[in-house]
Parts: sequence; structure tokens; C-alpha cells
Amino acid sequence: MYLSRQLRLLPRANIARSLSSSGAHYTTAPAEDSHSTIEIPNRIERSPTDILQALAGTVGRDHTAPHYKYHDDPFLIPMSNAAKRTYAMSKESGRKAAKWIKEEHRELFMHQEAQPAVEKFAPSMVYTEDSHVEESSLRQLISQGELKDAVLVYNLLEQKGTSISPDLKQSLLELVCFHNNQEPLPEEYIEERWFMQNNQRRERSAKTWKDGDLAEKLYSEIEPKTPQSYASLIRGMAKYLQCERAYALLQEAGEKQIQLDTNTFNSIIQIVSFLKDTAEQRWQLCTELLQEMSQQKLRPNLGTLNSVLQCISTFGNFKLARSAALQVLPEFKQLGVSPSLGTYYYLLIIFCRERGPVSHVIVDILNDIAGKEFQIEHPKDTYFFATAMDVCRNHLHDKSLAKKVNELLHTGKNYDLVGDSFKESIYYRNYLALLCQTESLDDFMLTYDLLVPNIYIPEPGIMEEILRAVEINGGVEYVPRIWSDMVVFDHTHRESLLLYVLRILVDNKPSGESPAQQQLPEQGAKVALDMYEKVEDAIKRLRKVSFTGQMLGDILTLLVRGGNFEKACEVFAHVDKNQHRIPGTPAESALQEFVEASVLEKSPSQALVVLQYAVENNMDSSALAKRIHEGFTLNEVHLSKLKSLVGESFLDK
Amino acid sequence: MNFLKKLVPQAAAEVQQLSRSSIHTSVVCCRVQSGRYRITTKRNRALTYEMANPPHFIGHRKSWNSWNTSTLKDALRPSQTAIEDVFIRKFVTGTWHALVCSEIIIKRQHNTIRIAALIRQAITPRKMYFLIGYTEELLSYWMQCPVTLELQTVGDKKDVVFKYI
Repeated sequence: MYLSRQLRLLPRANIARSLSSSGAHYTTAPAEDSHSTIEIPNRIERSPTDILQALAGTVGRDHTAPHYKYHDDPFLIPMSNAAKRTYAMSKESGRKAAKWIKEEHRELFMHQEAQPAVEKFAPSMVYTEDSHVEESSLRQLISQGELKDAVLVYNLLEQKGTSISPDLKQSLLELVCFHNNQEPLPEEYIEERWFMQNNQRRERSAKTWKDGDLAEKLYSEIEPKTPQSYASLIRGMAKYLQCERAYALLQEAGEKQIQLDTNTFNSIIQIVSFLKDTAEQRWQLCTELLQEMSQQKLRPNLGTLNSVLQCISTFGNFKLARSAALQVLPEFKQLGVSPSLGTYYYLLIIFCRERGPVSHVIVDILNDIAGKEFQIEHPKDTYFFATAMDVCRNHLHDKSLAKKVNELLHTGKNYDLVGDSFKESIYYRNYLALLCQTESLDDFMLTYDLLVPNIYIPEPGIMEEILRAVEINGGVEYVPRIWSDMVVFDHTHRESLLLYVLRILVDNKPSGESPAQQQLPEQGAKVALDMYEKVEDAIKRLRKVSFTGQMLGDILTLLVRGGNFEKACEVFAHVDKNQHRIPGTPAESALQEFVEASVLEKSPSQALVVLQYAVENNMDSSALAKRIHEGFTLNEVHLSKLKSLVGESFLDK
Repeated sequence: MNFLKKLVPQAAAEVQQLSRSSIHTSVVCCRVQSGRYRITTKRNRALTYEMANPPHFIGHRKSWNSWNTSTLKDALRPSQTAIEDVFIRKFVTGTWHALVCSEIIIKRQHNTIRIAALIRQAITPRKMYFLIGYTEELLSYWMQCPVTLELQTVGDKKDVVFKYI
């Protein structure tokens, strides 16, 4: 299509010439080197999804649109962190409801539409106490990873007295040990996984292994004990932190001369910190285990490296930890174990400690892995990016390093390793906080525009950091924008943030000369009015935020500067009426500006109300009185009021 | 579709009947009637743009409501596709009760079905997301292929009214 359009644009003669000349070229060319053979490249095997992946590789993340799991409609786009979570989870809960319907009304979903049949669309098999089961069904359930049904079928088979082959028992043992006989979260619920991790870390260091449960029963039934059965029980116990017994089993296996595998040793090395208390003892046990491995001629792998480093990272003794880590790394390099991101994560937490000396290990790490694409190899791989950014911000405070880390994150498919929503938000929290402290405001706002709000929504703490950067850099023209973001992100019930916004607006009185600041007084007044209404609304709903004298004074000033005298009077009336309820008083400068404005608006009664307020609240009233006296030609009533407020003596001066 | 199976004996009987009286002498009624709306006396029947244009404007002023290739030569499943589309329409209007305020457009591409509609903003976004997840998943169980909803929302039902007749 494109070519033909191009051809049409060319003059005809031109086409003919170019075609004929090229034709001549093609006819003569083969004659010259007819000996050269055409090499047909070998066929490259492609997987069914390769073309989809190639297509997906051509599009990146669109910063201007929300994540594609959300519907692209203004009404349905989430605008705060809470909304992001709620919307994604509601969608998934709808999916769960549909699945429930499918299971509940299974007779309606028995039809076979797809060719070949897709198992996931059909209702799952139901096993009950009196269903007819065979060994093969147990085998199938285990291969599908259906823990609950597999256990049920196993019990049924036991009751019937059917003999189960030892290798099937072994694979059931492995399944039970892996999941600790608890139904895992189904794989298809990705959103639940994405948002779940936040709650999980609390229960990390408690034993969850079910003692005397099915796993141990299965294990006792397997006779004679095979290395595999030892391995699966040890790994299960180590995974669910039944540490003492796992270690005891390992020793038992050692005494019985049973050859275990590398991954079993890895799981024990991982829990060394639970077995021993001091760093020296831990390191000793760790080396003992490694030596045992070498005696058994076991080749260590990436898991070994990472579990040794995990063990080292729990040392309280910084010097020992560092020397041990430096000892371990070259050894594994010699063995040809290439580190994963998880390895670098452990290095970072070993070297960059809060109370330790400053370490630049991250520089070397980044030099090593810049531009590399990683795949998940170890469960801890997803911790790297959040930790690296944390080190960049809190440990080294280095902008260029942070940018390098960010570049690495956006290389290839590395973004898959960002972890979950919690780690992602920690990552961006640290990134933005660091940038707003180190970059110029204009550069920072570029990054801010890129990330907010579709990729990351700042928490109130980060908002405060951003406001601080705005204040320091005198970028008062950004405040209205940031305020509107704050409204959208639902930060308006944080008193400290409200006061900060007002303070920046009040302290940076717009000059009116630069074109960027020309509209600022108006915008400031709008912000102030918006805030006044928001807080008033919040008070009605008994939210935590309430007015303070200072806040109202700032709002008053901004309204006056923005030329909205009417609203300013209303705000002042509110201050005046609710004196007993509002803690603190407006600043004197605010009152002065208000009186100044009432002079301009020729409203002496308003000015006298201000004066009365100032007198009642023990503020310095002489300046105000003077201004009123000079500014207006007062009539008798006003004059007598003025006298009664500040005394006769004042007028004589 | 499983309910089609129940229809099979009935359909066979109809075919027999048809072979007996295959010549129609009356005028084809559906051509004049379908897709056209009658003017009310009070002139208060609200029409969307889609409804306001009679079927002969399809392809000129408006477009098709079902997009698929089942009616091309040698194409597969023409009747099943039509009935599935009816099912989808009924299911969506029923699940999104009193919320759908346009025709439901069904587009089939490869093994995917994309369903587009205009939805009234009468429930919270949270509930809408629940319904989106539910509809997509249940329809994909039924049709046994990926189903995507592509909704747009409107603030008020009157926003989609093109004219009153």
C-alpha cells in the first residue's frame, strides 16, 4: 500500500527507468557469482506465545494512562492509593463470584465449546466422602497441585485399604510439605497477591509448621526412609520455621549416611539464625554445614549462595558480617555460581546498615549489572529494587545512583521484579523523596509529572517533602497545582499539610512582575477558599481536622490578596464568632492586611470589628487603630467606638 | 451452547414443516418493521443516535452491533454466533440492571470477544468494577474464550438521547 502510494507520486518515466535499471542489475548479478550458494537459515523453534511477546515488546508502559487493569474511563480511573486498591480488588472479587456461580451451578457449565477443551473453563471435579476414587485420580490431583482434594482422596483410598505406591506417597508428601497442608491462594488471583504482601510481613518469624499433622504421618508411613522423604520433610519444616526439628532430622539423616541434596542443605542454612544466637555461633554452624556439603560432594547453587548471605545478614557484628560476605563471594564465583538480584539485595543489607559506616558497595553492584536483564531466580529477587532505592536515599543520598537504579528497573523486563504494590510504592517513595531533595524544582517536576498519578501517588509524608522542596526553591507558582493534586489524592485532612501550603503561599508574596506569578494572587485566593470550604465540610462530618487561628489568618490574607474581600469578611466573621472554639489567633500581619483592604473597600465598620477582635484577644492594637484613624474619615459613631476600644489618649497623639 | 441441544428436535420438526410450504406470497414484513421506531402522540419517546437511524443507514451513518466473520462464505458457526450474541445482550442488560443506556456492541476477533456499551454512572466505581470482573469471568466460562468489557460511562441517561419522537 505504502509503496504503491509512493510510486504514484513519482513521474512515470522515472519509475520505468528505475525499474529497468534495477531489472538489468538482477539479471546480470547471478551470472557473475553463480558458484555461491544460498544459505537458508535454520528454522528457529518458536513457542506459541512468542509472537505475542514480540508484539508486547514494542509497547512500554504509558505514563499518561492508568494501568491497563483499570477501565479507561474518567469515572472509573482510580485517583488515590485507596481507590487503586479497592478497584482492582473489586474486579477480582467479581471474578471470584463468577467462579462460585460456576461451581455452584455446575450442571449449566458442562458444555464443551472450545476445541481443544480448556480445563479452566469447566467446573472442577468434586470429591466427596463417597465418590469412587482410584490411585490415578490422586496422581492427577497432585500434578494439578490441588492440595485439599488430594488429601481427601488420599484419606478415601486409605479407608478403602487401597495400596498406594511409595512414589505417589512421596509426591503427596512433597505437596503437603510445600504448602504446610494449607490451601494456597489460587494462582489466578494476581491482584490479591499484588496487594497482599503488606500484611504478611508481621507473621514472618513465627513457627507455622503443623506438628504431628499429615506430613509427618505420611513420612512415618514411608518405609524404608528414602533420601527424598527426608529432604521433603526437612524442607517443609525449614520453610515453616520448625527449626529445631528440621535440624535434628538433618543430623539424623547424616548419622544414617543418607545422601541429601543441595536444596535441603540450603533450607537449613536459611534458618541458621533461628538455631543459634550469636553471630560467631551462626557463622560456625554455617561453615560446618557447607563443609558437610562438600564432604557429600554436593555442588552448591544460587540458593546456597543466597541462604549463606541471608545467614550473614542476620549477624549483629558488622565486621564479621562484612568479612564473611567478602569471603563467600569469591568462593562462589570460583564455583561458577552467578549471582541473582536476591544476592545483591543481601549484599546491600549486609553492607549498608543504618548504624554502620557508609559503604559504596551499590556503586560496584550497579557497574556490574547495569543494562542487564534479569529473570526471577530466587524468592528474594523482588526485594532488590526497593532496597537499592532505599540505600540511594537514606544511606548515600546520591541522585545519580538513584537514576541508575531506575534505569536498571526499566531495562528489558526487569520491571517484573519490582515485587508487589507495597515494594513498588516504597521504591517510588524513596525515589521521589530523594529527587525532590537533590534536584532543581523544575527538573523534579518533570519526574513528578511522569510518575504521578498513574504510576505512583505520593503519600502525605512525601507530599510534605515536595512542599518543603517548593518552599526552599521558592517555586510558589507550583503550589496551586500541588494543592489540586492533594485534593484529588485525599490529603486534605492532614493539618500539617494544610498549614504548609498556606505558609508557602503567604510567605511568598507574589511580586506581580514576572508573568508566571501574575495569576498567583487569584489562584492563591482560590486555594484558600477551597481549603476553607473543605475544612468546614470536614468539621461537619466530624473528621480529625479543624480550624486553627493561624490557618484562618492565612486564609484571610490570601483572600485579601486575591481581591476576594467579600469572602474574606465571611471568614473573619467566622473567626470572630467562634473565638472560644478556635485555638490560637490569626497573625497580626493578617489582620493588618485585612484592615488595609477594608480601607480600600471603604468599609469602616468591618475595620472596627477587626480592631475590637484584636483588643479582645490582647493583641497589639495601636497600629491597627492608627491605620483606621488615618485611612477613614470616621463619623461620630465610629469615632466613639474607636475611642472606647483604644482609649482617648490615642487620638491626642 | 448447551441449550441449543435441547432445541434440536424442535428445529428438525420445523424444517419438515417448512419443506411442505416453502413459497410465500405475502410481503416480507421484517424489512419494513425491524429497527424502526413509531412516533408517539406526545412525542416523548427518547431515541439514541443508534435508534434514530433505521437499518438502511448501517454502514453509512451508523455501524453494526455485532462484528464477526461467521456469515462470510464457508465461515463457522453462523447460527451459534447469533444466539450467543443474543445471550450476551440479555446477560449484560440483566447484570447491569437499569444501567446500560446504549446498544451492546459485540466484536469477535480470533478467540476473543469484546463487548462495548455505555453505562450510567448510577452506582459507585467500586461496584462497577465488581460487575466488570463478574461479567467478564462468567461470560468467558460460558463462551469458553476470553471476554473483555470495554465500557464507557455517562453521567445521565439523557446524555445519550439523540432526539424525541
